[in-house]
Amino acid sequence: MNVISLNQPGRRALLMGNEAIARGALEGGLELAAAYPGTPSSEVVEALYEARRDRDFYVEWSINEKVAFEVAYGASLVGARCLCAMKNAGFNWVMDTFMTISYTGCKAGMLIVVADDPDAHYSSNEQDTRVAAEYNRLFCFEPSNQEEARQMAAASFQISEHLELPVFLRSVTRISHASGDVTLGILPEVQNRHQLGFNKHWKLPYRWNVYGPPGAVAKHDWLLSRGALMDEIAATSSFNRLTPSPSRIAVIASGLGASYADEALTNLGLLGVVQYLRLGIAYPLPNAALRQIFATTDVVVVIEEGDPMVERQVLRLAQAEDFRGKILGKDSGLLKPTGEINTDLAEEALAKATGNLTARGNLTGLPAGGLSSVTARGNLTGLPAGGLSSVTARGSNLTARGSVSLDATMSRGELRAEIKPRITPRSSTLCAGCPHLGSYWGLKKVLNRQSEDAIVNGDIGCYEQAGYGLFTKKDLASPEDSKRYPILSPYTILDTLYVMGSGIAMAQGQAQIGYPGKCLAVAGDSTFFHATMPALANAVANQADIAFLILDNSWTAMTGHQPSPTSCRNALGNPATRLSIEKVVEALGVHDLHIVAPYDVKAVEGAVDKALAFHGPSVVLARGECMLQVIRRTKRRWQTTVVTEGCTGCKTCLQLGCPAITFADEKAGIDRLLCVDCGLCSQVCPFHAILGGK
Amino acid sequence: MQLNMIVAGVGGQGSVLASHIIAEAAIAHGLAVRVGETFGAAMRGGAVASHVRMGDVASPLVKKGGADAILALEPLEGLRVGVDYLSPEGIVILNTCPNYPVDTSIGVFPYPPLERIQADLRSLGKTVYAFDATELAIQAGNARTLNAVILGALAGTGLLPFSAQILEEALAARVPASSLESNRAAFRLGLQRLEELKKGA
Repeated sequence: MNVISLNQPGRRALLMGNEAIARGALEGGLELAAAYPGTPSSEVVEALYEARRDRDFYVEWSINEKVAFEVAYGASLVGARCLCAMKNAGFNWVMDTFMTISYTGCKAGMLIVVADDPDAHYSSNEQDTRVAAEYNRLFCFEPSNQEEARQMAAASFQISEHLELPVFLRSVTRISHASGDVTLGILPEVQNRHQLGFNKHWKLPYRWNVYGPPGAVAKHDWLLSRGALMDEIAATSSFNRLTPSPSRIAVIASGLGASYADEALTNLGLLGVVQYLRLGIAYPLPNAALRQIFATTDVVVVIEEGDPMVERQVLRLAQAEDFRGKILGKDSGLLKPTGEINTDLAEEALAKATGNLTARGNLTGLPAGGLSSVTARGNLTGLPAGGLSSVTARGSNLTARGSVSLDATMSRGELRAEIKPRITPRSSTLCAGCPHLGSYWGLKKVLNRQSEDAIVNGDIGCYEQAGYGLFTKKDLASPEDSKRYPILSPYTILDTLYVMGSGIAMAQGQAQIGYPGKCLAVAGDSTFFHATMPALANAVANQADIAFLILDNSWTAMTGHQPSPTSCRNALGNPATRLSIEKVVEALGVHDLHIVAPYDVKAVEGAVDKALAFHGPSVVLARGECMLQVIRRTKRRWQTTVVTEGCTGCKTCLQLGCPAITFADEKAGIDRLLCVDCGLCSQVCPFHAILGGK
Repeated sequence: MQLNMIVAGVGGQGSVLASHIIAEAAIAHGLAVRVGETFGAAMRGGAVASHVRMGDVASPLVKKGGADAILALEPLEGLRVGVDYLSPEGIVILNTCPNYPVDTSIGVFPYPPLERIQADLRSLGKTVYAFDATELAIQAGNARTLNAVILGALAGTGLLPFSAQILEEALAARVPASSLESNRAAFRLGLQRLEELKKGA
C-alpha cells in the first residue's frame, strides 16, 4: 500500500511537499480532486491517483486548469469536499472563475492548491499567486515545510466550510518539490462521505447564481462580510506564532521565508532575542499581533518568498496605526525583489537590518533612555496633542453636519420609503419569439415530469436570464439540501450561473461525484466556441454523465448582435465561413447528439428526454436564429396571433415566459406590438385557444 | 446653467435614442452635454434610465433628487426613476400607457394603479403632465414614434434652453427616412398636447 493511503496515525514518513498536501487532503476528508498537470504542482494529483488504488474517491486529470477548477467547484456545491491543484501559470487560466465564485462561496470544503515557482525553475514567470488570494479576499495558507503543508491541507476543508469560501494554499517549488519529515494523521473512513444534495437557495436566495437576486454587488458585500471570520482564525491559529521579546526589533516571516528566517536568526544568535512573528497564513494577517509589534518596536524586517505581499499588508496596517519605525523587506530594498531567497540572503538582510541597532546597544533590551523615552516616543507616534477629545470633537462635527442635511430631507426620505414598495419590479426577459423560449419550454417539461433532482448549470449569454428568477418569493433561502423548488417559468430553470464556460464543467463535477439527479448545462453558440469546447472534451475524456444543451441562435446576441462563428457573415455584412457546431461536437467524441428546432417544442422535449436517458456525455443542439435578426432582415409583417374564445384562463401560456403574452380579466392576450408570430404559444396552449402565427 | 433630465422606459421603447437626440440638440445649441445610460440589464424588456445633462456638467449621472425633468415613456418606469431622482421642483412627462412587466403578466406582482403612480409623482415633484403618448404615436402613424411624442412634449414644457425647432431637427437627423414623416407628426402631436395641458393646468 502506498504511504499516502496508510492509515497509521503517528507514523513518520518522508514525503514530497506535493504528496504531503495530497495526504493532508485525504486526512481532511477529500472526495473529489481535479487538476491539469504543471510543474511544480503535478504530484499532488499523481499522489492522489496512487491513493485511489486503496481508497474510494474521485480524481481526474482535466483538460485544463479552468475546467479542473470548475469540476471541483461543481462537486463542492453538491456537498463533496474537493481539491484543485495547479501551477502558477495554470492559475491564470482560472482567474475568471476564481474571481467570481468567491461572491457566492462554496458549500462543502474546497481547497485550491497553487504551486508558485520563484526563480522560474520550470515556469515562464515568477508570479506570486498569494496576491490573487488577497485580491479575491480568500483565506491563504502558506506552509513553511512539508509537515505544515500536510496539516494545512487537512485543516482546510473545515475552515472552508466555516467560512463558506474556498481556502487557498500557496506552495512554492522548494516546498512542493522538496521532501520532508511528515507525521501521518488519521485517515477518515472511506464511507465518511457527505450526504450529497443540492439546494439552489442554500442559506441565501439564488445562492449559486452570481447575478441572481439580490445581485452581484450584494454578493460582493457578503464576501467582504466573511473577513471578520477570517481575522478570527488568523488571530487564534497555531499556524501563526508570535514570540515576543524586549527587543525593539521584530522579524515577520511567512511560509518558506519563515524556514529561512528560522535558520538565519539561529545563525545570527538572534532567535529568541528579537521579536519573531512566524506566519503560516499569508492572508489575512493577525492584526493584533502586528499592533503589538508596532507598539513595541522601531524596526520590522519582513522575509517572504515571492513578491512583497506580506510586507505591503504590514505597511498598510503600519500606516493606519501611525507606526513611525522602519519596515524593511523587498519594497525597501533590503532583499532583492526577484528570484528565490534562501538562508544566506535572509541572514545577510537580518544582519544589515539589525547591525546599526546592535552597535547602538538597542538590540536586546529597552532603549537607552529607558521607559521614559518609550513613553515619549509613544506620544510622538500616538494620538495628536489634544488626545482623544480632539478626535471626538472632529467626529461630532461630522455627525452634526450629517444630521443637518438629514433633517432637511427627512420627510422626502420617508416619502420615498413609502412609495418604493409599490414599484413593481421589472424582470428582464427573453424577447418575444426568442428561440430560447422554445428550448426552455421543452427542457422545463422534461424536468418537471421526470427529473426533479436535476441541476441545470447556466452560462453567459441571453439565455442566462433563465436563472434570474422573477423575484417570485422573498423567502427562498433555506439551509436544507435537496430542497425542491418547482420550475414556474423559464426564468427559474437555471440553478447555477458564473462565467463563460463554467456551467458544463461544473455539471461534470456534480455528475462525477455521484450526485443522484441529472446534471445538465446550457450554453449558446458564441459561448460554445469561446469557452466550452475544452470542457466538452473533458466530459468525453472522463466520460461524465451529463447533458449539454447548445442554444445556437447564430449571433452573439446579448452584447449587440456581433457575429459568432455560426452567423454566416462577418461584421461588415459580408459572407463568412460557418463553423459547424455539430461537426466539432462529433469530432470531440460525443456519440449522443440531437439536433432540433427550438420552435418545435415537442421535438425539443423528445431530444432532451433521449439525452438524459443516455449514459455519458450527450448534446442537444437547438438551432434557431435570434428572432431580432430575423425580424430585421425580413421586415416584420403585421402579426396574426390571436387568443380565441376557447381561452379558459389557465395561464399555461404565461409560463412560456414570452413578454408578448399578457393576462387580464381572466383571459390571455397578445401584445400586438411585441408579437412576432413565432407560434410557440399556440403550441403550448392545452386548449388550442391561440391561433395564427406560423 | 445646468439642466438635468432622465428618460425612463422599457428596453426597446427608444428611450436611449431620445436621450441622444436631446443631447445632440443641446450640442447644436452650443452646450456641453453628458449622457449616462444606466440599463437595468443590457436587454430588451428591462428597465432603462438614460441620464441627460447639459450646461455646466462634468459627470454622467444626475444627483438624487436633482432631475429637473423625467421623461417617462412608461408610467411605472417614470415612478421607479422619479422616486429617487425627481427634484421637488421638477416636472414629469408621463406616458399613461403601461407596458406590463412579465412579473405582472404572470400574476406575481400587481401593477400599481395609474392614479397612484401619478399621485406619487405629484408628491415627489412639482408638475406631472400625464397623457396617453402611445395613442398619439399611433395617431401619428407608427407606434414606434412614442419617443418622438415625448420629445415634442418636452419641447412644449419650455424647460429647454433652445427652441422646439432645434429639437425637432435633431430628431429628424436621427430617424430613418422611411419614418421621418411619422416622427415629425408625432413630435408635433406631443408638443401640441403639452401646450394644451399647460393651459389646462
